[in-house]
Amino acid sequence: MRRLLLAVVGGLVLALALAACGGADDSGGPATRASGDEPAPLRMGTKNFPEAVLLGELYSQALQAKGVRVVLKPNVGSSEIIHEALTGGALDIYPEYIGVLLSEVANDRSRPSDPRAAYRAADAFEERQGFTLLGMTPFSDSNAIAVTPRFAREHGIRTIADLGRVPGRVRIGAPPEFATRFEGLVGLRQRYGLRNLRTTPLMIGRQYRALDSGRVDAAAVFTTDGQLSGKRYVLLEDPRGVFGTQHVAPVVSRKALRDHGPQLAATADAVSRRLTARAMRRMNAEVVLEGREPRAVADEFLRRAKLK
Amino acid sequence: MVLLSATASVLVGTVLVVLIVAVTGQRDAARSAFRSQEALTAGNQVEKSLITIENGLRGFVASGSRSRERFLQPATRALAAYPRDLGRLERLVADDPGQQQRVDQIAVAIDDYVRLWAQPLIELAKTRPAAARSVVVTNGGRERLDQIGREFAALFAREREVIRLREDRAEQRSARAIGFGAGGLVLVLLIATGVTVYLRRAVVRPVVTVAEATGRLASGELSARVPIERHDELGDLARGFNAMADSLEQHRAELERSNAELKRSNAELDQFASVTSHDLQAPLTTISMYAELIERRHGADLNGGMALVDGIRTATQEARTLIRDLLEYSRAGRRPLMLEEVPAGELVGRALEALAGPIAAAHADVTVDALPVVTADRASVTRVFQNLVGNAIKFTADRTPEVAIGAERNGRMWRFWVRDNGIGMEPEDAERIFVPFKRLHGEEAYPGTGIGLAICERIVGQHGGRIWVTSRPGAGSEFSFTLPAAEA
Repeated sequence: MRRLLLAVVGGLVLALALAACGGADDSGGPATRASGDEPAPLRMGTKNFPEAVLLGELYSQALQAKGVRVVLKPNVGSSEIIHEALTGGALDIYPEYIGVLLSEVANDRSRPSDPRAAYRAADAFEERQGFTLLGMTPFSDSNAIAVTPRFAREHGIRTIADLGRVPGRVRIGAPPEFATRFEGLVGLRQRYGLRNLRTTPLMIGRQYRALDSGRVDAAAVFTTDGQLSGKRYVLLEDPRGVFGTQHVAPVVSRKALRDHGPQLAATADAVSRRLTARAMRRMNAEVVLEGREPRAVADEFLRRAKLK
Repeated sequence: MVLLSATASVLVGTVLVVLIVAVTGQRDAARSAFRSQEALTAGNQVEKSLITIENGLRGFVASGSRSRERFLQPATRALAAYPRDLGRLERLVADDPGQQQRVDQIAVAIDDYVRLWAQPLIELAKTRPAAARSVVVTNGGRERLDQIGREFAALFAREREVIRLREDRAEQRSARAIGFGAGGLVLVLLIATGVTVYLRRAVVRPVVTVAEATGRLASGELSARVPIERHDELGDLARGFNAMADSLEQHRAELERSNAELKRSNAELDQFASVTSHDLQAPLTTISMYAELIERRHGADLNGGMALVDGIRTATQEARTLIRDLLEYSRAGRRPLMLEEVPAGELVGRALEALAGPIAAAHADVTVDALPVVTADRASVTRVFQNLVGNAIKFTADRTPEVAIGAERNGRMWRFWVRDNGIGMEPEDAERIFVPFKRLHGEEAYPGTGIGLAICERIVGQHGGRIWVTSRPGAGSEFSFTLPAAEA
């Protein structure tokens, strides 16, 4: 009797104790913090279209493979915005197209035909701003105006200047900033005196479908676009040089260069050297036409190039 | 008992602890719910600030007027305000790692929105308004805000879930605690019931058992015993009771045995007396006859010897009287009664008839009240009246004897009395006079063998009644005896 009673009471007390303690929350582990000696992570931005995002992946993954900590901020915006972010100190580095950099950021309308001259001019501009232009890519992704072969035949169009002969308005599907850029509506009007052009703002990448459906007559495209691989579109010649060469070079702050040492420039340059037009068009097609992840495409390329 | 009370105390204490835990749990849940509510508020505040920034920004960029700076004022205020709310949010979710991570992500997204969109756009709008306007169309800010909004939604959903989970858990815990409390109380009640039952079984029942046995014992059931199951005071009580009952039973058995022994020896004595007196009568008759023959044939030759012969005859007569009385006494106890309903007055009349001579000689005054009908043996009861009245007129002082006979009802018995104004007796002699051959006076003063009252007692006793006397010396005596009344 007594033993049973003791057992019952003991069990009860134990159960109560468990019930009382059961609700304790487990607390999270301590937050990991970088040691003081390590430089702050490199904040890399990209412009807001697939090729730019792909470039961001290529540079950041290669740098990370070399032990540089990188925070990638894809799709920041057009050159106007992303360069403001860079000068505002929100970014340390981003890959930029040299022609756009000169015409839209440096406001240099000289349109040097020689890519090296353009690079030097752009680098000189960035140095004045407190930045450095790293090595330039072999590929150039120029802006261009594309039309359908049918439209070209119909109006006998071969060059941009021929657009003036098209009766009525010519609707150009283009990213919004096209309307205010020299490498855009501004340059086309200035250099070619075209008055019949109207822009239809489209997200970069959507212009091909608009062209196919007849929603627009012409489209602002990049020469490395995967869609241009076949014969489905005709690129108009630019005899008066509105669209400059668009080789890519990362713009980096001097502080980041100092913090991360010579390895930063060396790695970025190594990546840039491998980026030929063919390589870029193929990777663009994989991302845009096949729907692959830019991260995976970049990873594959870097591994094949022994950069990772 | 100590263990039981200790158990009950522990249980009550535990129940209290559990209730306190439950209340604390509820309070904690309420506190954390309040915390979560605050977190939601802070998050909403941040979102509102971001929308204010975006709207101000768009107004500022879109407007071409000189006063466009006014669009920027709310945005600038919101830009200054949101970090405070964000910090508050970070602190409020610091106890939940998952939420903390979400807030960190949101903070990064907001930082990106502000530093990679809002601020560059403002700068751009200041220097190149047209370019800024074209950029705004890309909706980069809206996309970022939509993303932030989705992340906030996830955060809020999780926070609400956390609130619900905490409330559920607190409710569960309090339900469990109430269950345990109720269980504990039930257990306390059970223990109390157990104590009661134990007390009943252990104390009350044994006492009741002893009391019942005592009642049975008192009503004559001497075999009543109490089972002895314990080794404490109650066991002692039961043992004491049983010992007492044993002793009582033993005493009664002894009494019964000696009673039977007495009866047997009385009967033997009676038998002996009867046989002896009967056998003695024959030689006495012979002696008496021889004395008479001597007197008749040789009376002339005896001269003075005649006195001796007279002595023999007298002694023989006395002996025969004694033997007759003794025979009568011994028969009185043994002869079966012939009971019938008979008027007592008739019996008295017959007795007075038999005593007519002595009554006349003593000039006695005998008065008889109205007497009832009784169930009795005629001859025996007549003999009783005869004896008592005979005594009344025999033991007289110098006065004229006055004898009164009467009766009164006393329950199912009648008491008869025979009252006289004779010599009376000392109270201590009142018992002795019923003993056979016991005489208070010498043969010379009052003749008789002293067997009469003993015979009366036997007869009355045989009828189921009793006989006694109340008397004082010189103040007369009142002899009473009882007889059963005739059946109505």
